[in-house]
Amino acid sequence: MFDPKEFVDDAIKKLRGEIKGKALVACSGGVDSTVTAVLTYKAIGDRLYALHVDTGLLRKHETEQVKELFQKIGIPLNCIDASDRFFEKLKGVADPEKKRRVIGELFVRVFEEFAEEKGIEYLVQGTIAPDWIESGDQLRDTIKTHHNVGGLPKDIKLKVVEPLRDLYKDEVRKVARFLNIPISEKQPFPGPGLAVRVIGEVTREKVEVVREACAIVEEEIEKASKEGRMSLPWQYFAVLLPVRTVGVHGDKRAYGYTIAVRAIDSIDAMTGSFSRIPHDILDRIATRISNEIGDKVTRVVYDITNKPPATIEWE
Amino acid sequence: MSEVKIFVIDNGGQWTHREWRVLKYLGVETRIFPNTTPFEELVEEGADGLVLSGGAPRIGLNEELGRCGEYLEKGDFPILGICAGHQFMARFFGGKVEPADVPEFGRIELVIDEDHEIFEGLPKKSVAWASHNDEVTIVPEEFVILAHSKDCKVEAMAHKSRPLVGLQFHPEVEHTEFGVRIFKNFVEICRENR
Repeated sequence: MFDPKEFVDDAIKKLRGEIKGKALVACSGGVDSTVTAVLTYKAIGDRLYALHVDTGLLRKHETEQVKELFQKIGIPLNCIDASDRFFEKLKGVADPEKKRRVIGELFVRVFEEFAEEKGIEYLVQGTIAPDWIESGDQLRDTIKTHHNVGGLPKDIKLKVVEPLRDLYKDEVRKVARFLNIPISEKQPFPGPGLAVRVIGEVTREKVEVVREACAIVEEEIEKASKEGRMSLPWQYFAVLLPVRTVGVHGDKRAYGYTIAVRAIDSIDAMTGSFSRIPHDILDRIATRISNEIGDKVTRVVYDITNKPPATIEWE
Repeated sequence: MSEVKIFVIDNGGQWTHREWRVLKYLGVETRIFPNTTPFEELVEEGADGLVLSGGAPRIGLNEELGRCGEYLEKGDFPILGICAGHQFMARFFGGKVEPADVPEFGRIELVIDEDHEIFEGLPKKSVAWASHNDEVTIVPEEFVILAHSKDCKVEAMAHKSRPLVGLQFHPEVEHTEFGVRIFKNFVEICRENR
């Protein structure tokens, strides 16, 4: 029922009509923003500036992967390392909603500085339906402030353009496949990045731990899926809990953080059921986390709640 | 004949836009309207049917749900109330809505008690997803109960003479096994009613 070609033709026409001057597209390297970049590039060509911001909250090797991806799809990419600024702003912030707003605002400030330098008026974003639905409005309760909607500061100087606003991820993937974008099947990753996978205050040290744990979860689940042991979940990652528990490492007492593993099956992120991962694969994940980051982590647990009542990410 | 027009009345639900998407996929001409839209405007736009979405308001505790009462009073087209829309429908016709003893979040087993066009093609038992704190405890006199679950007596109800149906669960989400079929049946009800 959804025709990607029709959508692409229509979106390009609309973007051409809407964007009069130069535009900036914020690129995380995920499916939504990459599709947005490709559509906008097709619409306005070199008047588009693709910008990738390294927040320090990205997954392992992510910035390099984004650079490679944009080289492949032939869109020039500008990169800014703003990680110091993000960690500075997040100091002392433990409330998940405040975290999301702080990150949303800082993103926009970085965009605005870049825009001013280049004379850019428009900000093109890969916002999709669940982002604005969950961000809430006069009518709808706020479930989570998505950084690109509720997190936008009210005094934003750029005009926001959102070509994917009415789509869900499964539809965006269809568009990505139609456009031959190599990362069409990449799992979703939240805009605020690993900051919402560190429960409580975000520090460089904690982000480092959860980054390693996420990498292990991804590697093991992708391996198991390639071996035909399980189908690839919608999303699969690790969360660092501020709960410390006792362990015994080499006959010595250990006292470290808890890692929660989350894997969930969904079509559109609006409902989800926890993935039935075979126990031996969970075992592999737990053993690797305990061995490879055992100096920080003493316990690994698996999240078995569906959405609803829980959400996919913990914050 | 032109396509059936079914509008989604937005009561602020998380899945309002999903309802719109399911209808769109079924080839229906559809749009989302805020629940403050005057009834006359919906008629002018050519509504053949309405879906009253869910939403965060606690129907047992709140008096109104935008102009949904007006639509139920004046509409001669089919109306499908979902979750809060269903609860409001029950209260509007004299039924009762109260906090559920056991709220349902996520997976439930839907058990059909009574044949109705809305459930055509569904087995007696199927998987559905729900998300609610309140529930209909007394069904209005002109309504019959169509389905229940283990923890909720009124998962579905229908008016005895008007094309009004209320569903406590959510047919618009992917995890509801026969959700699309239920929407197809509702589209059919709207088509026949034109």
